[in-house]
Amino acid sequence: MSMNNVKTFFFATLRDRVGVRLVEVQIPAQTNVAGFKNILVEKFPALNGFMNHALVAVNQEYAFDDAVIPNGAEIALFPPVSGG
Amino acid sequence: MALKSHYSRLYPVDDRMNYPTICSITEDEIDLNDLLAQITLTSTGAAAIFTGIVRGLTTRGDAYETAYLEYESYRSMAEAKMEQVADEIRERWSTIEGIAIVQRIGKLYPRTPTVIIACTAAHRHTGVFDAARYGIDRLKEIVPVWKKEIGPKGEEWVKGEYIPRAGE
Repeated sequence: MSMNNVKTFFFATLRDRVGVRLVEVQIPAQTNVAGFKNILVEKFPALNGFMNHALVAVNQEYAFDDAVIPNGAEIALFPPVSGG
Repeated sequence: MALKSHYSRLYPVDDRMNYPTICSITEDEIDLNDLLAQITLTSTGAAAIFTGIVRGLTTRGDAYETAYLEYESYRSMAEAKMEQVADEIRERWSTIEGIAIVQRIGKLYPRTPTVIIACTAAHRHTGVFDAARYGIDRLKEIVPVWKKEIGPKGEEWVKGEYIPRAGE
């Protein structure tokens, strides 16, 4: 199976849970956002139960469960924003 | 006729590419006067400026004190989303001339400005107030910035609520 490398950033509450800001993850080609969330929960059990509330960005755009993650993507997971 | 085309070159109303747009995340103090100068054209006669400020004492609901707020951002996406907010403002209010959207991050103490949305236009009755209001409302929905509140009872991330839809 061909694998893709993706950089993943965590912010705010999700970074606190994971304990790191950035990880490199290998995922099967054609993995979508929903599948990627499952991979992350396996890798970081502390995320279990938090994924339903997490927003996902792929290459700086909001991405949803069905979106396929391209090779070399920059992914970010974070809670709803609270700036201002 | 020749005069008319001459004037249209002096006042390039269809040349919106020349209208200044400033979008940034910064750790530095927000310089309101400098930003205003950058979005003021010779044709500008009005500016609406919203700035958010760290509130040290909250009295709405259960009263509590805030020692400081700690802001963080996903900078590359945040600046791209601020550009998107500026584009949305221009789509809705074609009268807007300059736009500045700046969010300060890091530790910010009470009475400190945290964010600024400023819009300029030729006159005040052009939607310029609404445009600035739309800007701050939209920033709070889609620009990836978060803040943690630190007070006498400990620290807590401020919860956002908005869930963006596809294409936002």
